[in-house]
Amino acid sequence: MNNLTLTFTANDFMLMLQGAGITFVLTIVSGFFGSLIGFIIGWGRSLGLWWLYYLLGLFIEVVRSVPLIIQFVLFNSFLAIAGYPIDPFTSGIITLSIYIAAYVAEVVKAGIDAVPPTMVKAARGLGMSYFQCFRFVVVPIGTRSVLPSWTGLMLGLMKDTSLIAVLGASPPELLRSSQIIITRIQEPLAILIGAGAFYFIMCHFITVAVQRYETSWASKGKVTA
Amino acid sequence: MIKIEGVRKSFGALEVLKGIDLTVERGEVLCLIGGSGSGKSTLLMCINALEGIDAGRVEVDGIDVHAPQTEKNKLRQKMGIVFQQFNAFPHLTARDNVALAPRRVLGQNKVETLELAEHHLAHVGLGDKLDHFPSELSGGQQQRLAIARALAMKPDYMLLDEVTSALDPELVGEVLDTLRLLAEEGITMIAVTHEIPFAREVADRVAFFHQGVIHEVGPAKSLISNPQMERTQEFLGKIL
Amino acid sequence: MFDYRFQWRVVWKHWPELLEAALLTLQITVLSVVFGLMIGMVLSVWRKSDNKILYWFTATWVALARNTPALLQIYLAFFGLGALGIHFSPYTAVLAAITFNNAGYLAEILRGGMDSISPSQRGAALGLGMKPLQMYVYVIFPQVLKAVFLPITNQIVWAMLGTSLGMIIGLQELTGMTTFLQSQTFRPFEFYLAAAVIYLIVCETILIFARLVAWRAFRW
Repeated sequence: MNNLTLTFTANDFMLMLQGAGITFVLTIVSGFFGSLIGFIIGWGRSLGLWWLYYLLGLFIEVVRSVPLIIQFVLFNSFLAIAGYPIDPFTSGIITLSIYIAAYVAEVVKAGIDAVPPTMVKAARGLGMSYFQCFRFVVVPIGTRSVLPSWTGLMLGLMKDTSLIAVLGASPPELLRSSQIIITRIQEPLAILIGAGAFYFIMCHFITVAVQRYETSWASKGKVTA
Repeated sequence: MIKIEGVRKSFGALEVLKGIDLTVERGEVLCLIGGSGSGKSTLLMCINALEGIDAGRVEVDGIDVHAPQTEKNKLRQKMGIVFQQFNAFPHLTARDNVALAPRRVLGQNKVETLELAEHHLAHVGLGDKLDHFPSELSGGQQQRLAIARALAMKPDYMLLDEVTSALDPELVGEVLDTLRLLAEEGITMIAVTHEIPFAREVADRVAFFHQGVIHEVGPAKSLISNPQMERTQEFLGKIL
Repeated sequence: MFDYRFQWRVVWKHWPELLEAALLTLQITVLSVVFGLMIGMVLSVWRKSDNKILYWFTATWVALARNTPALLQIYLAFFGLGALGIHFSPYTAVLAAITFNNAGYLAEILRGGMDSISPSQRGAALGLGMKPLQMYVYVIFPQVLKAVFLPITNQIVWAMLGTSLGMIIGLQELTGMTTFLQSQTFRPFEFYLAAAVIYLIVCETILIFARLVAWRAFRW
């Protein structure tokens, strides 16, 4: 490697690019599992069972009230003292998934609440079962109304993946790899601006992609609630 | 007296008022009728300068409304306006809704304005709703609140912009009753309305709008029963 | 469940340090929200400005604050600005970065709040003869306040959680102090759990207080 050079090299750029890739992968994987868990929690809270509603609500409240850094180290040291230490990267993904699930759950509940009760009644009146109604009426309408909030969460998640560095997870994501380069070439401002540009582009990319998707929906007619 | 001369107004490429001339005397009730998009509501907004004009002149009691040196807020104190969407202030109770402008704009003292508010709310039949928020009132009640709010400023003129259009049919009557009361009291009113029977009963004169011009204006009863212009006949034929 | 023996006494022994650190966390939170709100108000007004420079300045601030990680913003304040001859202490760097971040989000919240007020409310207020300032004070702002109250509460909570990033550049706020203490005592789980509980309590206090205020002030 080029540990001896004190200037920004092509390899450094590749390291940052790889870091951006890791950031992306972390976001996709924990975003996927987080959304899945969050969906189940949000659905569970919509069932009308008061004890389940408050139990899951407690989980959401706790996750949303504790800094992510602390959740990272707490989960990691919990695994250690429980006798099941796993590598920091995996434990980081699990923590991120649980963390974002709490936020997704709230969005899912908002989506379910956004479906007018009359529409559910209409669907049931057509002879649909609970699950058919949920699958074919509630989910499509609800998804449409909360897609922007969900996108916001995924962007937040991408930025939060940078905190996985506190676990010393490897391979390094974007911010950690930038730091590695900074330590060597001592050009923090330029490198950090570069890293910021990477984040910015990725955020922008996701935002535009979702907007495209939304417009393609909108052209198929809007739901009037 | 309100004098409107050659008023023109465009929104972008769309010309909504194409040279309007109209005079309204003190104590008169004038109804503006016509299809939607014919420019009736825009004209109301131009009379109290909520909208600017592109050409022409609007004069209220001899004051040029659109002249730059005119203090528009002073002028608007003389002209109460009530909108189609009631526009009650959602964060204030009925009483505070009515008392706000007399207290802050006219600078009357607090106790006085609260009493004034109670008086005007009672006048429109909301004497028992003083401490209710708009969200706790029906559409008809909110609209009557808006009327009371405008009246509390003791305006010389009332501008009414389709005040019954957003109401459920069964609530239209109560608002029209309130307006009848005002007409009997001799308040000058310019009302944009789709309630032709109401216009015929209450208005002194009616002006028929079509595509930004006044096609016909005349005494309410004769214009509605016996319209002279083809467009007017067509419109009234459809709506009655 | 496992052969681990929890030792809470050592946490209890360091309770005063944790409390002091928690107060520092609160201090940064309050300052960053107050400054953030002030800047955010200016930004939200500039955003509506016809002046192209003000508009782009605001748009850039908001986009940068929202589209890059807060940790990167802290790094920039702490390490990056050194290249320009600006040297911040960890405290100042965290306060500056979180304020920068808050201002960006709060500007958008305030803008959304303004946009949520129907334009016809302006017409109604002006129609009663109010001057623009009176319209804002008595009609628009009270309604904006309701619209932005909950989002701002969430932003306060977020700002507090965000100050925990100070740990990474060596600031001894609650998370930083916890990290320091656990490294001295080798009791990470106990210390981090204690810190988590403190954060939870502070958060809940903020939220309950906010709900109380909202319940009193926004009965409409």
